[in-house]
Amino acid sequence: MSYQAQQRLSQVGSHLGKGGKQALLEKHPDDIVITCALRTPITRGGKGPFKDTAGADLLHGAFAGLLERSHIDPSLVEDIAVGCVLAPGGGATEFRAAALAAGFPASTAVKSLNRQCSSGLAACVDIANAIKTGMIEVGIGAGVESMSTQYGPQAVTEFSELLEEHEEAANCKVPMGQLSEQMAQDKHVSRKDQDAFAARSFQKAERAQEQGLFDEEIYPLKARYEDPKTEEWKEVLVRADDGVRKGMTAESLSKIRPAFAKDGSIHAGNASQVSDGAAAVLLMTRAKAEQLGQQVLGKFVQASVVGVPPLLMGIGPWKAIPVALEKAGITKEDVDIYEINEAFASQCLWCVRELGLDESKVNPKGGAIAFGHPLGCTGARQVSTLLYELRRRKQRIGVTSMCVGTGMGMAAVWIAE
Amino acid sequence: MLEFRTQGFNGYSVKYSPFFDSRIAVAASANFGLVGNGRLYILGLTPNGIVAEKWFDTQDSLFDTAWSESHESQLLTASGDGSLKLFDIALPPDSPSFPIAQWTEHAREVFSCAWNLVSKDSFLSSSWDGCVKIYRPEMQQSVLTLPTHSCTYSAQWSPHSPGILSAVSSDSHLRVFDLRTPASASNHLTLKMPIHAPPKAMPGQPPPRGVPPAEALTHDWNKYRDSIIATAGVDRVIRTFDIRAPHQGPLCQLVGHEYAVRKVAWSPHLADVLLSASYDMTARVWSDGGAMGIDGGGGVGMGKEMGRMGRHTEFVTGVDWCLFGAEGWCASCGWDERLLVWDVRGTMGS
Repeated sequence: MSYQAQQRLSQVGSHLGKGGKQALLEKHPDDIVITCALRTPITRGGKGPFKDTAGADLLHGAFAGLLERSHIDPSLVEDIAVGCVLAPGGGATEFRAAALAAGFPASTAVKSLNRQCSSGLAACVDIANAIKTGMIEVGIGAGVESMSTQYGPQAVTEFSELLEEHEEAANCKVPMGQLSEQMAQDKHVSRKDQDAFAARSFQKAERAQEQGLFDEEIYPLKARYEDPKTEEWKEVLVRADDGVRKGMTAESLSKIRPAFAKDGSIHAGNASQVSDGAAAVLLMTRAKAEQLGQQVLGKFVQASVVGVPPLLMGIGPWKAIPVALEKAGITKEDVDIYEINEAFASQCLWCVRELGLDESKVNPKGGAIAFGHPLGCTGARQVSTLLYELRRRKQRIGVTSMCVGTGMGMAAVWIAE
Repeated sequence: MLEFRTQGFNGYSVKYSPFFDSRIAVAASANFGLVGNGRLYILGLTPNGIVAEKWFDTQDSLFDTAWSESHESQLLTASGDGSLKLFDIALPPDSPSFPIAQWTEHAREVFSCAWNLVSKDSFLSSSWDGCVKIYRPEMQQSVLTLPTHSCTYSAQWSPHSPGILSAVSSDSHLRVFDLRTPASASNHLTLKMPIHAPPKAMPGQPPPRGVPPAEALTHDWNKYRDSIIATAGVDRVIRTFDIRAPHQGPLCQLVGHEYAVRKVAWSPHLADVLLSASYDMTARVWSDGGAMGIDGGGGVGMGKEMGRMGRHTEFVTGVDWCLFGAEGWCASCGWDERLLVWDVRGTMGS
């Protein structure tokens, strides 16, 4: 068949397909595009080099990196949304201050928001929606968490009697490790499978680090910290995630003692790490990006948010991902990479299996088990992890998703360009 | 229902003559328009059924045809080789069946052609090459090229104003050009609206959901409400828009086709009725609910399917209304090598 006939045939074919994928890949001036996405390295809570750095300072680093790499005129940025879970008062005051210190003028608005572990994604989606509706033209979705300095019981207010007496309401404060342990048992996710999944996360992250696959997304940051052994203050340039333990195997993980129940399956090695880090994503319409000469990394397509029972919070991605895919008009097979947060190996693995996803498409550079889950940061971190990997593989469609404490799930569809 | 078989050629477009109620043109292509010849049929409706009065064979596939509005025996074809051809059916029967004029300017397949309905002295074409071109029959070159930068499946003149035309393309946008505007870098583009934009939020109702962009394959101007355009395409939804309020989103969304919609045509008799042809092998009759006010303001979102014709056995690619006589006769063509002439009233209320 001639080349021309083939082209005509594929054209008619594209009319008949659901149209979803083809249409999604097209470029339109009103697309919400990402022109810069980066993150700080993620380091271990209480031990890593960021352990003495305030969350707002990490955020300041991400902002400075964004301005440096994108070369955007800071006065064009109209709003910044920052996802953060643990900071008192949401961190609203110090985040505004961090933006000013990073070089944004007083005219750039800043807010913080908290949707637990999906705060960083919620912030990006919030900015994308604000651009879509015409409220702003250029904005930043960001996320930050200093779990070293702000993790602890003070992050949750005591429940009133009213809430304690309502069964489902009271479930909202069941610790996540405990409920995930129960869920792993109920849903029959064995310790062996969890350890194998966790080991793969470490191995993938180790390989990605060796091959320099995080280099594009990481913005190295200087940190001052007190060496716990010598009690000496040191300043270092942090270039890489320090939670990625080398040579991990399912075998070596199988020796770790369960953390939440004697006969349990969840332990420090197959759950996400307590970490510090920040991430930021610069968003605008394609028309604006072209006008400003910004390089387009990818575009935001669609997001979803769903609720699930608080005790089953780990199933969030299972419910949220199909909703986002349906809204975007594509099928799960159309997606090239899934970044699904590894809060616990048990819940992530269950979601992957239940959705019937190709495991090789899930978290190709590892996940929170290997390099950590700074709560508010993760959603924004996934955007840069995803887009750079899609670009490297010359693939197009990606999904980010995570479960959310108190029983929710979020997912978003992104296209790399 | 009357039928004619376009043996060996798959129908792509059907048009009633604006001069004779018994004459129909069908543009058809061998091998489903993928490769091979095209054929333009001139059919007559006679007491003995439909007969082929004449036909013209072309080297490449034909995707559309349009009757001249100024000359009763002339008509245009849009061809896969990028050419527009003007044929004259009044030439003596023994003369060679060549076109009397030809314009070969498009770099890719031409998917639509249309004759100016008001001034009647010009016509246009739209192509896969991302251009709409305007011609005058007496001139050998096109007089204007309007870029759309996107495969343009359909371009139409406004039936109300001689200098206004519109186009829909695979980038999911409706463009309106006004030739009365001064020549400038905007190439007479006066309006460009996203077809996939959600309708305006109504107070007290949840905000409408956005949908992904989808290739637009066809559109038509309402013949009575001068600012109303219907569009349709790969996302299967027929939408009506008021070009006076481009940010309002669709006035009405007609949902029902199970595959892409290939052609829509507003009734020449009724302000609210339109006909559609789809890859789902049906042609359907719709009301957009706009009959209440000819001003086009009424009936937002109140559209409904009124009838369905399912006699085609392959993709339905073209439909057209008869301009004369009782207000319901129409013709449809499709990949099943058949032209059907039928009365939409026979498909309603059954």
